[in-house]
Amino acid sequence: MTSASASSRKALSKIATNRLQKELMEWQVNPPTGFKHKVTDNLQRWVIEVHGAPGTLYSNEVFQLQVDFPEHYPMEAPQVIFVPPAPLHPHIYSNGHICLDILYDSWSPAMTVSSVCISILSMLSSSPAKQRPADDERYVKNCRNGRSPKETRWWFHDDKV
Amino acid sequence: MAKGVISASDQAEQLKQDGNLYFKKNRLGAAIDAYTEAITLCPNVPVYWTNRALCHRKRNDWKRVEEDCLKAIQLDHKSVKAITLCPNVPVYWTNRALCHRKRNDWKRVEEDCLKAIQLDHKSVKGHYMLGLALLQREKYAEGIKSLQRALDLGRGAHPNSYMVEEIWQELATAKYHEWERDSTKRSWDLRNLEDSCEAALKEKHSRDASKEEDDRDEATDSISEQLAALKSVFSKAAEDDVPIDIPDYLCCKITLDIFRDPVITPSGLTYERAVILDHLEKVGKFDPITRETLLPSQLIPNLAIKEAVEAYLEKHGWAYKMD
Repeated sequence: MTSASASSRKALSKIATNRLQKELMEWQVNPPTGFKHKVTDNLQRWVIEVHGAPGTLYSNEVFQLQVDFPEHYPMEAPQVIFVPPAPLHPHIYSNGHICLDILYDSWSPAMTVSSVCISILSMLSSSPAKQRPADDERYVKNCRNGRSPKETRWWFHDDKV
Repeated sequence: MAKGVISASDQAEQLKQDGNLYFKKNRLGAAIDAYTEAITLCPNVPVYWTNRALCHRKRNDWKRVEEDCLKAIQLDHKSVKAITLCPNVPVYWTNRALCHRKRNDWKRVEEDCLKAIQLDHKSVKGHYMLGLALLQREKYAEGIKSLQRALDLGRGAHPNSYMVEEIWQELATAKYHEWERDSTKRSWDLRNLEDSCEAALKEKHSRDASKEEDDRDEATDSISEQLAALKSVFSKAAEDDVPIDIPDYLCCKITLDIFRDPVITPSGLTYERAVILDHLEKVGKFDPITRETLLPSQLIPNLAIKEAVEAYLEKHGWAYKMD
């Protein structure tokens, strides 16, 4: 999973490092329900296990999120994708890209990894059907050169799911 | 008549400003180019050399740092001349102090800064370097006071400048070291007092026990209770010196760090000034939590939180620890 944007990534700024250390400390004391941070020594890339919520279409399924932080986090959103195989969901493409407004246009620096995770789980939990987005094949083909989802121009047409 | 000369120095000054701008954006290559051009135009201005040295320093190019600083010091020895000619210009004094600082000649830094401050009570650089000099000479309390003054003045002039951040770092480090010194002594004193109290209590108990043979069990209970109580009293007394989580209401929701210069928005939420300004410029004109429209002009200092932070830090000096 070395996309072009990830390999040319700049090191975290001092503010970003400081804030991520605090987030990680808070996560260790008080992790969001259904998530497990996989321990690494890399503050700039978090790998997080997601457990489908009981009573939903994804109960007993486990997925992996990969969160990459830009130099100027939290003034810029992190890049969040599912490591394939990604869950079957109308807003999740088979390459793991997630169509969720807070990850792109609606990002706010007051959000945290933890709050983003909760939003993603809630998106999964409210899914009516296990299916890929209608344009999955076309979209994934367009991303074949390792393009980051942050470079996509997203249309957020449906906020019910 | 001297039109050409004037425009060269004006142009060099403009290049310096450009360089400073690039430096702030961490575009070191562009900054170095700008300062180099300024130096080519006016090689006798020490600050062009020291600014370029600062760029080399960020790149860890220490050989060039040394070269540029030596050049600046060489030039600024001549600034003695400038001071002799016009002793009432504070910046001559602070610039000379800067040279003494690079040579670690802290006594002279102190002298020059005092003179600069005398001329200009609001000289941020003067108070800043005076503070550093005093700390170096182990006059901690006075040094901290000078840094505090420099920080207040700097915030008044340029709230989110590179200099204000640097002054804060120095001040926080000094305050942390002050706490380390004081708390070490406090815990030592408490430790000794606790040992004496414990010994006295045990002695009293054994004296009492030798008098009344009958109630030995009861006496043993009461002594262990008293010893436990004594321990808890002493651990309470040491509580403020034990680092814990800083309360959330004293921390910015963006930095997650304790407030330095808190400002409140019309939504009633408080953020760190430099960071919320950065957000309004780079992310969007909205309150990060409520998403209501927000303009820089709507930010108001939150003095109550600022005082609460000061009171907290006064009591819990460990919270000054950076990183």
